[in-house]
Amino acid sequence: MVIYLIKRLFAVVPIILFAIFLMFVLVRLSPVDPAQAYLAASNIHPTEELLAEKRQEFGLDRPLIVQYFQTVADIVRFDFGNSYVTNTPVWQEIATRLPATLQLAFSSILVAIIVSVPLGFLSAVYKNSWLDHFSRLLSYLGASIPQFWLGYVLIFFFAVKLDLFPVEGRGTWQHFVLPSITLSLALIAIYTRLLRASVLEELEETYVLYGRTRGLKEKGIMVKHVLRISISPMLTGLGMNLGKLLTGTIIVEQVFSWPGFGRFFIEAIFNRDIPVIQSYVVLAACLFIVCNLIVDIIQLYLDPRISREGRTQF
Amino acid sequence: MKIHNSKKNLFLALAACAALTLSACSDDNAAGSADAESDNPNSITMSWPRDIGPMNPHVYNPSQLITQSMIYEPLVSYEEGGEVKPHLAESWTVSEDGREYTFKLREGVQFTDGSSLTSEVVKKNFDAVLANKNSHSWLGVINVLDKIEVVDELTFKMVLTQAYYPALQDLAVVRPVRMLGEAGFPEDGDTSKGITEPVGTGPWVLDEYKTDEYAVFKRNPDYWGESPELEEVTIKIIPDAETRVLAFEKGELDLIYGEGVVSMDSFNYLKETGEYTTDLSDPVATRTMLVNSTSEKLSDLNVRLALHHGFNKQAMVEGITLGLEEKADSILSSNFPYAQEDIEAIEYDVEKAASYLDEAGWKLESGGAIREKDGQPLELELIYDKTDPIQKAMAETLQAEWSAIGVKLNIAGLELTEQIERRKEGNFDLDFWYNYGAPYDPHSMINVVAEDGWGVAEAHSNLPMKTELDEQVREALASTDETKRQELYGTILTTLQEQSVFIPISYMKKTVAYQNDIESFEFPANRDEHPFNDISVSK
Repeated sequence: MVIYLIKRLFAVVPIILFAIFLMFVLVRLSPVDPAQAYLAASNIHPTEELLAEKRQEFGLDRPLIVQYFQTVADIVRFDFGNSYVTNTPVWQEIATRLPATLQLAFSSILVAIIVSVPLGFLSAVYKNSWLDHFSRLLSYLGASIPQFWLGYVLIFFFAVKLDLFPVEGRGTWQHFVLPSITLSLALIAIYTRLLRASVLEELEETYVLYGRTRGLKEKGIMVKHVLRISISPMLTGLGMNLGKLLTGTIIVEQVFSWPGFGRFFIEAIFNRDIPVIQSYVVLAACLFIVCNLIVDIIQLYLDPRISREGRTQF
Repeated sequence: MKIHNSKKNLFLALAACAALTLSACSDDNAAGSADAESDNPNSITMSWPRDIGPMNPHVYNPSQLITQSMIYEPLVSYEEGGEVKPHLAESWTVSEDGREYTFKLREGVQFTDGSSLTSEVVKKNFDAVLANKNSHSWLGVINVLDKIEVVDELTFKMVLTQAYYPALQDLAVVRPVRMLGEAGFPEDGDTSKGITEPVGTGPWVLDEYKTDEYAVFKRNPDYWGESPELEEVTIKIIPDAETRVLAFEKGELDLIYGEGVVSMDSFNYLKETGEYTTDLSDPVATRTMLVNSTSEKLSDLNVRLALHHGFNKQAMVEGITLGLEEKADSILSSNFPYAQEDIEAIEYDVEKAASYLDEAGWKLESGGAIREKDGQPLELELIYDKTDPIQKAMAETLQAEWSAIGVKLNIAGLELTEQIERRKEGNFDLDFWYNYGAPYDPHSMINVVAEDGWGVAEAHSNLPMKTELDEQVREALASTDETKRQELYGTILTTLQEQSVFIPISYMKKTVAYQNDIESFEFPANRDEHPFNDISVSK
């Protein structure tokens, strides 16, 4: 298992390097000149001398390959440079805003789990009942409704018309409700269907029949055996979606004025704040890679058959 | 058993996450107690799209002009019609050659750190700005500022390298020439790297601030001037325009104010509900088409005039801006100093446009859609900022309108920085351009007509009277004779209109929507100034 882990960790390195390379190429392909963008963001009139000075300072006059290795070296040292707009280290800007984003992401996961586990399980157990139809409808809606639109609709009905929650901002538990629902609906759509399919599959297994013939209680079979085993693919999906969830907060943070990193990223796009954009892209890539790695490790832990070592024991 | 344990651990991990999230919520409960919901009836809450920033009076982004203007004050203020009035300076004299301004500061003005406003502090502020002249060279007065001399405790002299009539008007801008108190300066005096605290003389004091969330301003109890009626102003940071409107409808906001802070549809919706008060300001700037006279086809005055006559400006402006902007006949609207009331508008006239093109030799072959001359089609390119929906809609409208007179218009949506770059390089036929508004205009506008580096003077460089025009601009900026200046402005603005190197499209306006318990509201004359001093609420 340790060897497997070490192998996986080593495999992450070229993927991250490739992500940095991709980001590097995309930024260079963009028509935005970083020197011009810096001066525009700082409200400095871009004379040719100043532009040349800035290009030299950012190392843009050096060969591309040198620039690439410099970028890699900076990122490895967690040096993402300074924001063009705030003139403070990007890392500091991230550290200020990331907790709010993480809070929102985790609260959405909680909502998603609380809703999709019982709903997915019951819709499989009571297949073709009204509950199953409802969960199907909810999944269709969750998969097809754009998040920004859902956000506005929830604000309109639950904040403006019914006055149950605040429209925007962060501060109390009430502030979490609408953004968490907005963000979690897409997850609920996926996990409910995933769990339902998985439970249905497990119900066909012989151990269920065996349990019944042994006279075990139906509730016990369902909860202790079927649900416990069926939930495994959902956990995989959850981990894989964690990266997506954190990057997905961008729209929700904007709509609900949530003071997280996603909103800061949108502002960075409008300001052509290249160091912030770069760091976000690299962090998002790393997040996806790390989340996938964590899922693999959890899977390995839950199901030892996956590793060679484990397979020999079964 | 092993599997069972792992599930248990996982469950514990999730429970820990939940606890973390909830504890964060409860932490915030305490921290966010102020959370912009003030109990004070004599207070208002408005929203702003961006965080207010570090409130440094000597730098630009990310500090916001509206809040900088609440804390920091200018030596002179810009009032209706371009009148410059005493503010921190109670009087001033100008030397005959227009190079020396001697200011007498108002007595008894205190910064919020308790220190007094003196000539020394004023000098320290100007020195900090001059130490980073490169960043501020866009402002005419900084460009010609030689030094500040302290005469006595309340008198100082501003010495310019050359006469520059708009010096006073430039001193009214929100940044970078407003006064920071001694306690706000860092040890080395270099404010470009940051300030220690926002210490000003203004009517408002920053009381509470949470990055990206809100800022609460309290009335300055020691303010030297007339105190505002309001005791407290909360600014909530709401980046999304639609959310802003929903928060306003719910009553979480009392006021929505600014340029482009609500969509045109939403503004009209709020207006039509009849439940709120809405208003539009006088024009704050002019949306203009910059015509590149160095482009081969546009070097002919007849072609430029044909384009100017060839589209229904009124219909385009009304249709796209839904009445929030007003058709512009001149590049300078009448509420600006030196605006020329008698300037002749170039009206929509398709026949006239066609005859100008015929005269220029661009003929429409029978059955053809595009005019040609010497086998070349009359094809032009309009560049626009692709993130600006109004520019895009106008570009598409012009494409359709000008095709009716036989002009093929190619439109290219660009990244803003690329658009600026191409403007500077002169690599365009037509481009959207805006003047700067009060208190920067009209002098900043005519300055870019004469001085290279902004892309405008370069685009006009093919005009037959360019040298003369540049001289008139420089003379107007340096003139100490008011009558002469009036005359020069008249000539300059008339030339620009007649030559159609600028095609004025619309006058842009600020919007305001407020709840009915706000009793009085006035748009400030200075485009960047806050409006809170004149607001009162019914209690």
